Amino acid sequence: MGKVLDNKCPSCGAAIHFKPELGKFKCDYCDSEFSAEELKDMDKLKEEEIKETEKNKDNKSSDNYSNYVNYNCPDCGAEIIADENTAATFCVYCGNTSIIKNRLSGEFAPKYIIPFKMEKKKAIDAFKSLRKGRPLVPKSFVSEKNIEKITGVYIPFWLYDVNVSGTVNAKATKVKSWSVGDTRYTKTDYYNVVRSGSMAYHRVPVDGSTRFNNDMMNSIEPFDYGKLIDYNHAYLSGFLAEKYDVSKEDAFTDAKTRTLNSTKDQMLSSMIGYSSKTITSNNLESVSNETEYVLLPVWMVNVKYKDKFYLFAMNGESGKFIGNIPLDKKKALVMTFVVLIISFLICVGISYLIYCGGRA
Amino acid sequence: MRKLRFFSVIVFFLFFSFNVSALDIYNVDYSRSNVKVIDRSESNKWGVNKHWNINSGNINNVKSVPYVDSDLKVYDFADILTDTEEKQIYNKIQNFIEHTNIDMVFVSIDMPYSYDSKNEDFAADFYDYNDFGLNFDKYNGILLLRNNYSSDRYYDIYTFGDAQLYFDQGRYDNILDGIYSDFTSKRYLDGISKFVSDCTYYYDKGYASKYGHAYIDDDGFIQYNYYVPIIPCLGGSLFITLIIMLILVKKNKMVRKATTASEYLDKGTINYTEHLDQFTHSHTTHYTVSSSSGGGSHGGSSGGGHSSGGGRHG
Repeated sequence: MGKVLDNKCPSCGAAIHFKPELGKFKCDYCDSEFSAEELKDMDKLKEEEIKETEKNKDNKSSDNYSNYVNYNCPDCGAEIIADENTAATFCVYCGNTSIIKNRLSGEFAPKYIIPFKMEKKKAIDAFKSLRKGRPLVPKSFVSEKNIEKITGVYIPFWLYDVNVSGTVNAKATKVKSWSVGDTRYTKTDYYNVVRSGSMAYHRVPVDGSTRFNNDMMNSIEPFDYGKLIDYNHAYLSGFLAEKYDVSKEDAFTDAKTRTLNSTKDQMLSSMIGYSSKTITSNNLESVSNETEYVLLPVWMVNVKYKDKFYLFAMNGESGKFIGNIPLDKKKALVMTFVVLIISFLICVGISYLIYCGGRA
Repeated sequence: MRKLRFFSVIVFFLFFSFNVSALDIYNVDYSRSNVKVIDRSESNKWGVNKHWNINSGNINNVKSVPYVDSDLKVYDFADILTDTEEKQIYNKIQNFIEHTNIDMVFVSIDMPYSYDSKNEDFAADFYDYNDFGLNFDKYNGILLLRNNYSSDRYYDIYTFGDAQLYFDQGRYDNILDGIYSDFTSKRYLDGISKFVSDCTYYYDKGYASKYGHAYIDDDGFIQYNYYVPIIPCLGGSLFITLIIMLILVKKNKMVRKATTASEYLDKGTINYTEHLDQFTHSHTTHYTVSSSSGGGSHGGSSGGGHSSGGGRHG
């Protein structure tokens, strides 16, 4: 059986949750507030209690990380079913947060975490304001009633410190034109340009979970790494959490591609004064110096609209909200027609001004 | 003292006027041909019977071109045609005039020049200050000029009045290129015959498409009536609509794959160990822009408009 932890109020024993707006933990029953440090002491005591409890319980499931696994809620004793990557979840009966500790320890122990700063309401508000500046969003799409589920999830990320070194070879041209009498001359000078050197990238993030779309996780970047703090599972209360299922070696492929591309761009930008430049070859190498395993906060918003599901994500630290919004086809058609008419009239107006200018 | 100053100003003015009036702008020798040149004098209104305003600004231009019998149509001042050839060309031109009601003139000269525009100025002055142009309404006519200047032979077509509307740059180029080999080989009869035949062909085809909505004003310049250019406007508006709609659609797609990591680059760590910019070779191209641009109306010293083909050297 998995090791399940709960977060209880040291004062009254009720469930306690991290409140992003306070930056503290608060009990909804007795209104007590606790800092992370204060709860650490409580956590140690709880761990000992759990060890005792586990000895007396009948194991219904083994420590098997494949498929679904059963756990017992330490609050109400109800059976919780979670998949192999879930590290923190809720008891569907009492609503208490359950943390599967062995999925957040040992090789799965995150080094840092950025606690949620944005509340659930911010995610709802961000979703409702999607129509601003987007005239092709269906009016009924951004209704709150379409939101099926909003979940705050700590998503596992690998942060890579990467060093890229090597050489970029490019062909470049400088073009100069001038006139002598009736003759127009154009001179093109050709150059071989070489840049060798190295540069370092700090904490390039790569999503460590296959459950979340990589492009979506890329799109909510950047996270403010100044907000990274030592991991403490107390921050997971009130939120879901995942453990990584993509190894740091496999996830590095993305970081490698991104850093190599940026290095090429950087080296190209150092070739100044040319009219054109094209990379002909390179032998750049990307090496990871240090890797950190962290949990980063993301609000996942599931929306159901006309029997289709749409997934949105909000950076739980910065509030950046992303997702693909369906098009209102009728609106798009009307707008195309309107823009076409207006632009046609503008073109006619311009042609008339040109005509008048030509006569003047 | 004041009287003396006034007197010196008058003397200077008269001296200057005399010199200006004595100036021959074109320096063409007209004596080599049989064409009779009539004297221009104040009594015959300087030989200008058209409605141009002759003043101190253009009197030298008037005096610098010969006053000729406008019925001759062929003015071989450079003596490049035989008498028989002249007659044959005259007959062809007469046929053209009867068919089109547009005047036609061939002029050959031997005139030194540095810029192509001097040929155009001569052609415009020669046409404007003689009685060319049928009906004396818009002075419709076509003039083919051959400058046989040995250092740089040149020829070009100049159109006046409604005749301008029959020729766009494409038609000018076709005619000029069509007679190039004849002119450079001094087969002038063949070249001019081809020229007359091509002009007849384009007259029969009607106005050039770019002048479909154009007309000639009282001063001989091409003017355009406004009409909605439907196809360009439609094309432009479709392009604008496409761009705007693409931007709007893209606003709904916020999920994008990250391909770079520039925001994570520590710029303080950029270290270049090799920084080579090696010049390998150079390539120069050139093209010539004719100083006498073809198409569209140009103003002559008379104040009247005309068009030209752009000219050819050779």
